[in-house]
Amino acid sequence: MKIGIRVWILIIVLSLSLLAISPWKTFKEGALIKSVEINSSAFDQGLRQGQIITSIDGKAVRSFEDFSKLISDKNYSSENLKTIVSTDQGEFILFSDKPPEITVSDIPSSNIKTGLDLSGGSRALVKAQDKELTSSEVSDLIDIVSNRLNVYGIADVQISSISDLEGNNFMMVEIAGATTTDLKDMLSSQGKFEAKIGNQTVFIGGEKDIASVSRGGQEAYVECPSSFSGFCDFKFSITLSPEAAQKHADITRNIPINASNPEYLSQSLDLYVDDNLQTTLLIGKDLQGRVTTQVSISGSEKGDTKDEAYKAAQNEMKKLQTILITGSLPYKIEIVKMDTISPSLGESFTKNIIYLGLIVFFIISIILFVKYRKIKITLSVILTMFSEAFITLGIAALISWNLDAPSIAGIIAGMGTGINDQIVIIDESISNKQISLKERIKKALFIIVGAFFTIVVAMLPLFWVGAGMLKGFALTTIIGVSAGILITRPAFAEIIRRISE
Amino acid sequence: MENVPEIIKEEKKKLFKNFNYDKSYKILFFIPFVILLISLIYLGVFYSKNGDIIYKDVSLSGGTSITLNGEIDQSQIEISLKEKFPDVSFTRLEDITTGKQIALMIESSASPDELKAGVEDVIGYHLNEEDFSIEFTGASLSNDFYRQLILALIISFVLMSIVIFVMFKTFIPSTAVIFAIFADIAIPLALIDIMGIKISAAGIAAFLMLVGYSVDTDILLTSRALKSREEPLNTRIFKAFKTGSFMTITALAAVLPAFFIVTGLPDSFRQIFLILAIGLFADLINTWLTNAGIIKWYCKRKGIQ
Repeated sequence: MKIGIRVWILIIVLSLSLLAISPWKTFKEGALIKSVEINSSAFDQGLRQGQIITSIDGKAVRSFEDFSKLISDKNYSSENLKTIVSTDQGEFILFSDKPPEITVSDIPSSNIKTGLDLSGGSRALVKAQDKELTSSEVSDLIDIVSNRLNVYGIADVQISSISDLEGNNFMMVEIAGATTTDLKDMLSSQGKFEAKIGNQTVFIGGEKDIASVSRGGQEAYVECPSSFSGFCDFKFSITLSPEAAQKHADITRNIPINASNPEYLSQSLDLYVDDNLQTTLLIGKDLQGRVTTQVSISGSEKGDTKDEAYKAAQNEMKKLQTILITGSLPYKIEIVKMDTISPSLGESFTKNIIYLGLIVFFIISIILFVKYRKIKITLSVILTMFSEAFITLGIAALISWNLDAPSIAGIIAGMGTGINDQIVIIDESISNKQISLKERIKKALFIIVGAFFTIVVAMLPLFWVGAGMLKGFALTTIIGVSAGILITRPAFAEIIRRISE
Repeated sequence: MENVPEIIKEEKKKLFKNFNYDKSYKILFFIPFVILLISLIYLGVFYSKNGDIIYKDVSLSGGTSITLNGEIDQSQIEISLKEKFPDVSFTRLEDITTGKQIALMIESSASPDELKAGVEDVIGYHLNEEDFSIEFTGASLSNDFYRQLILALIISFVLMSIVIFVMFKTFIPSTAVIFAIFADIAIPLALIDIMGIKISAAGIAAFLMLVGYSVDTDILLTSRALKSREEPLNTRIFKAFKTGSFMTITALAAVLPAFFIVTGLPDSFRQIFLILAIGLFADLINTWLTNAGIIKWYCKRKGIQ
């Protein structure tokens, strides 16, 4: 049988979809690093999110299970142990008394990503309390929150800006997979910067205490020593408000000079970010009891190369500057939606959806066969239905769309309309032999195109409804019916023409 | 025994011969019309009683839903939970292959912390992340959400009407299609209310989907009736009916298993399919009795044979 251009297009698009989905990833062995705790020894040694662990101490790691078994067999205790972690991006050697500070999972079996309701995880939809945020305010909020989350050491998180049909803007924070962090606490306890001497607070982040923060030029810089020793230093100055400066004077007045290091006072200025000690600054003796508005904040960061260390120092400086400038989050935020889905429930949902797909295919095959009594027709309808679902999945994988339950409902609903159209094509082509086959198929296409446009316009408003919660449903339906009308149905019409000729 | 099917076939033929569509279409037209009228009256009464045309679930009214994994006996916790949370409701999720319960969903308008604490009290142990899922929607967001979904439904309906008018360019046939789709939404809505089902956000999306699903058959009917002349009108309508009803039956076969066979699915997911299924049944009568009746009457008036 000669294959026409329309069928060729279908074959090509199906191959591209297969490429996009990449189901052969199932056969890849190893364990994927999902996140690395920032400032941990694992991070310092160069382990990064996305690397694939292939062996631990020379023993092969084929799956997540292998990894956790090898790590628990090592019995980390008070002693420093050497751990050789081989990844697809080289070998890393860790010396630590703790297991590597990373979260690991199996390598995803394909490029298809499933949404939170199917894979488990937490998400929060956040808006400002008593204030309508503009989209630029939301992106400011996102910047600050991303920054803060980094301080927290949470890497496997996605933050996005979402707006709805009525122009409300939201921030969406999503943490995939299992997480022990309570997203809620994390969002509401954000952004505390404190400078303390002993347990007295001298100043905190935000404009009340901090008049300005220098962000460039002479007053804020990163420098690496000319003979590189793994570290680069950063330094920037801040200007305190008169009240904060007065407070500094009042507190330091009563602090004696350090006997063993007489250039400095005996107590230091400790900088805390969200209650974690970030930096300790020694206070020069000439600052004792003086009202000074200029404070310089310094620190150093390390890296394997001079470039890396420079970048790390620069990032750290930026982070501190942002926190000092913004203080706590600029808006009192309110969590308007908060979902935490357990991964095991998601797993059984996924399993049931696959069963459902098989059952639907089976029932429809039987119905079609009973009606048309022709294997060829039944097979080509089923093949077309499968192609539409497959192309939809391929496009979803290509645009990294997270398939949630509504998205999958959309795929199945799209398959339903696809079958309807094919029945129209079959019935038009096998009945009413008075007019030419071409004419009959043209008529079928009129009905199909009409139905296509109505379904697309019916789905469009869903894109903007309710913070995009049903976007997936609209998206997969529209992709499905579009793939249908552009690719599979022309091919199907051609196949039917050949069968009935 | 062997000729029994033949007899049935003969009977069937007779039935179709005696069936005179030219006479009966007006009566047939009124059956769905009466059902629609009853539905609308019911929805009106429902609205005056409940202040809304549907029962809303927590995603549309605000509140918390907790899904406990595993075999949790609902009867044991129901009474004590109802004391604390009078509006609490339960849904059982089952595994498709074994029929075993995989989870129990508990819904209430309470805050997540309250409901979680309440559930922990009743079941007697502390819930950790592996044991349960929790979803919370704030009241203000769910109100916005609901209002926008209704707005989306109206926008969809208007856009869809425009497409229909552009396709057929004549007033009465286009209006007939739009009327049939309106009935496809109104009748299932009343039925869902009668069944006492709480509609979720995804459920309202299903009504939008219904628009797309039901329009195929209406377009099929209208275009077959108006755009060809090779066969008599009644034959064209009857053939369209044969194609269209088969379309609806296969569509039902695609959506029904999701409700009746595979019960261990997210509730939002199952609801989409339930609403589609009811809508497809409604579509059978609305297309082939109402819409066909109007088209028949229109063709007669215009002298289309």
